Amino acid sequence: MTRPLLEVEDLAVEFDTHGGTVKAVRGVSFSLQEGQTLAVVGESGCGKSVCVQSLVGLIPMPPGRITKGSARLHGEEILGYETLGGKRVRGQMIGMIFQDPMTSLNPTMRIGDQIAEPLCLHRGMRRRDARKRAIELLELSQVAEATKRARQYPFEFSGGMLQRVMIACALACEPRILIADEPTTALDVTIQAQILSLMRDLQQERRMSLILITHDLGVVAQMADEVVVMYAGKVVETGSSDDIFYSSGHPYTQGLKSAMPQNQDRRAQRLEPIAGSPPDLFDPPQGCGYFDRCPQAMRVCEQHHPPDVALGKPLHRCACWLHDERASDDD
Amino acid sequence: MWRYTFKRLIQGIVTVWFIATATFFVMHFVPGDPLSDARATSEQIRKNLEARYGLDKPLAEQYYIYLKNIASGDLGISFTQQNREVNDIIREHFPVSAALGVLAVVFAALGGILWGALTALFRNRMPDIVIMFFVVLGVSVPSFVFAALGQLSLVTLNDWLGTSILPVAGWGSVQHLLVPSLVLGLGTMAFLTRLMRSSMLEVTGADYVRTARAKGLNATQIFIRHQLRNAILPVVTVLGPAIATITTGGFVVEIVFAIPGLGRFFVQSVQQLDYTVIMGTTVFYGGFLVFMVIAVDLVYGLIDPRVRVR
Amino acid sequence: MSAAELDFSPAERSTEAARIVRPSLSYWQDAWRRLRQNPRTMTSLVIVIGLLAFTLAGPWIWRVDPANQDLDQLSIPPGAPRSAFIVEPYRAWTRSAPVPGAGLRLAEEASTQRVRLVWDTREDSPAFEVFRDNYPPTATALGIPLGEVLLSDGLAFEDRLALEPTTYYYSIVPVDADNHLLMNARETIKVDVKRVITLEGARQRGLIAEDARMQVGDQVRLALHPLGTDYLGRDMLARLMHGARVSLFIGIVAPLLYVLLGVAYGSIAGFVGGATDQLLMRFADFVVALPFLLFMILFKVLFGIGPGESGIVPMLVALVILGWPATARLVRGQILQIREESYVSAARLMGSPTGYLIARHMIPNTLGVILVTLTFAIPSAIFTEAFLSFIGMGVAPPTPSWGSMSNEGIKTMLVSPHELILPAIFISVTVLAFNLLGDGLRDALDARMRSVE
Repeated sequence: MTRPLLEVEDLAVEFDTHGGTVKAVRGVSFSLQEGQTLAVVGESGCGKSVCVQSLVGLIPMPPGRITKGSARLHGEEILGYETLGGKRVRGQMIGMIFQDPMTSLNPTMRIGDQIAEPLCLHRGMRRRDARKRAIELLELSQVAEATKRARQYPFEFSGGMLQRVMIACALACEPRILIADEPTTALDVTIQAQILSLMRDLQQERRMSLILITHDLGVVAQMADEVVVMYAGKVVETGSSDDIFYSSGHPYTQGLKSAMPQNQDRRAQRLEPIAGSPPDLFDPPQGCGYFDRCPQAMRVCEQHHPPDVALGKPLHRCACWLHDERASDDD
Repeated sequence: MWRYTFKRLIQGIVTVWFIATATFFVMHFVPGDPLSDARATSEQIRKNLEARYGLDKPLAEQYYIYLKNIASGDLGISFTQQNREVNDIIREHFPVSAALGVLAVVFAALGGILWGALTALFRNRMPDIVIMFFVVLGVSVPSFVFAALGQLSLVTLNDWLGTSILPVAGWGSVQHLLVPSLVLGLGTMAFLTRLMRSSMLEVTGADYVRTARAKGLNATQIFIRHQLRNAILPVVTVLGPAIATITTGGFVVEIVFAIPGLGRFFVQSVQQLDYTVIMGTTVFYGGFLVFMVIAVDLVYGLIDPRVRVR
Repeated sequence: MSAAELDFSPAERSTEAARIVRPSLSYWQDAWRRLRQNPRTMTSLVIVIGLLAFTLAGPWIWRVDPANQDLDQLSIPPGAPRSAFIVEPYRAWTRSAPVPGAGLRLAEEASTQRVRLVWDTREDSPAFEVFRDNYPPTATALGIPLGEVLLSDGLAFEDRLALEPTTYYYSIVPVDADNHLLMNARETIKVDVKRVITLEGARQRGLIAEDARMQVGDQVRLALHPLGTDYLGRDMLARLMHGARVSLFIGIVAPLLYVLLGVAYGSIAGFVGGATDQLLMRFADFVVALPFLLFMILFKVLFGIGPGESGIVPMLVALVILGWPATARLVRGQILQIREESYVSAARLMGSPTGYLIARHMIPNTLGVILVTLTFAIPSAIFTEAFLSFIGMGVAPPTPSWGSMSNEGIKTMLVSPHELILPAIFISVTVLAFNLLGDGLRDALDARMRSVE
């Protein structure tokens, strides 16, 4: 196994609010291989966006705070650093696209200029060259009539088109990693598929790594090589896409799967919602965060956080007491 | 854009017609007689005067003549200052008010944008608290108090320095203009500062600012290239009404600082019941404000592409 | 961690996993809760209540006629000493006794009754010019000239010109034969003037009882003016209270009326819709375009102010005529918007009658906005009244209003600033309080912010 492109270790993020300190991310570790797609999955508020945005310093500080942990790109620390080897971490090393393309672009700036902006500022390109490059990038993102479109403003575009523009923008400086934070949530289903396949094509073409944040297991199945499942600010299970879908080890992952519609031949398929709501992260529980909602909860889960254990496959790991040998005795 | 401009201009003309009509009828129903003062001594003089001002004709015809004159740019002859055309009066006094007003608008707009941006950047820290304290003061203190305080501080300053570096009252040079226009702009500046602050805060939390950060721009680049322009937009939209406030607020400043502007003249003419001057000045001010608002809207169209393309 | 501590048996839990933690609050309960939590709003609320008490109850406690002139105390600042000594009635100066000393000096103790100066003769000066100033004189400014004294009149001068109990600087300048002032030879003396009153005067003014036994040299206290007097000797506190009645009456009643008018107009336009709506709103647009202050002045001319009238009603009417369109636009917009909201459609789908829709959705969702508009309309109406009264187009004298008091105060700004500052402070504090109250109300009533906390 080669050294991973990005290694995140024991990352913790807190937010100071009027109501107290929210412990949004509580010790998260994962790694990303060159050229692969990593999906970070979990329900709203589980800390997946915060976790990934804090890697590139995108969370507002204050009130946000990275309390511990490290993130190494090519083996070098990037947490708290703006640049790495003369290149800016944000924009040049890591590109990002966001959930709502309609509001993520400056409404008073021409599309072409917004794409050309990082080229001028980071690469010192001349304005004219940068504009030309912006048009090429638009074409690459399959925006029709790119020359004309580059002179237009965001309100003249549809949501799907704007997400293509966002992709062109993020790829302008040829980053090694693209972070996509729920890139298709705000889009129509038909457009979703187009955007996803565009992202996959561009990723393969450029041998880029992709971090995909989503709560949509369908998207995960379509795109991901590796999956990280997060719950209440912690990673509950990691593994390859197959591991997660066919031999998931954590009750939460199983719960997520049974809440997802499946295209299989089951006559009376019934979606099972996960009852209850996630724990209060102002005062996170001592034990397993899923304890309150877990159908298989045991007494031990309430007070003791489960250790991370490997489940057979090299990268398949899960944090649940059910995998403790003492638990299986009782069953 | 051209069609929009044309439409706005037509609307403006209709509005000015409404203002002129309202002025005409309000003034027509003023109790008393415009010629009741000492000048109309004999019946004959009275007749002559009535004929001269067209007061002997039926109301509808008077209204028609009045509108026709306004359309041809003739606002009539003053009642109290014989043989002086209202146009001449406006030509003489309005530039003074305009110079004062323009400078005040510039002070207010630049100050508002600057202070507003500063308070937003230093949100909830000392500069923000201090500036916002003055802003609250600025929107709560009436303009004549500012004028009085401005004059008082000028007197004190000149006393303290022993020389007169800035004149306390009167008209004639740029120095005469500085303090009155600053005083005139203060209230609006405070109002614009507050608007700019909230608009900046809104913009700071906007998704496209996050995108700009994700693109690797530093804080200064983001501020200049993305935040400022978007935050100024709401400030520009209220500039039209702000010009109106400053224009009429000028009355007080002109009175306190003894500046021979149109505002002071208007107040005088009301006290003397100089009908034609009152009507002429009101229509002139009304038209001026209507077209200033249109001008501001058109300028807004130039900076906001969402309006421009439509 | 030893194995004995860990219990792997199934957990028993209470079934009520999802409990409602917060009590449910109605819109107004929630708004009130937020309002109470905002210290600035509560302070401004206290100020507003205080102002209302000052206005309504004040004149019952401080029973001084605001039109009454106290000619002994003109333009006195707040807290000025008000004791006076009883003196003999004025008698002409006989100049019988010689005054010891040399140079410019006082012949007798200076009082508000008279200041008597004597000085020594001087060669080649057939006359002297006498000046008085409130400040130490400079080479160029000696104050007001009191008169010329010829040598033949004797070397003495008596000043009885509007004397105040303060410190004066008297200067005499010799005049040479060619009528030139010899500025280099001037002499200046600092004189502290004592306030005095005759026994008769004190009785007339009711400062002492008719049968009181007082003699020359005794002290009496002049009428109390806690906030001083204006240039006509009228009590500032009484005038501020009565002025508050005018200012607050216009400031509260006018917005109340025009907001109500605007609500009625806007709701009709919003509910009826169609061509009526277009017509109504076009008219509102025209009224908005009228230059506000100019038309306030025109209306004031139109309604005129007869003798003895205060001019309050004309101003009220003018404010209502010009003020309503903003509220009308707002309410119409709210109603059109709410009609399109999905919760209204949902309620309609569930078969709610129109009356219920209006009571349950339209009113609660517009009332907040209307309340906020009203709160912000009050300071602007107070400003308008003050502005108009200040340029002499508002309430007619002698009716006091804060604006007309400021107008009078600015004339004496340099010598007695309290006459401008006091009404200005009242206007500012009132406007500030209502502005802050409006801010607080807006924050408290903004339904969008309710869930965020």
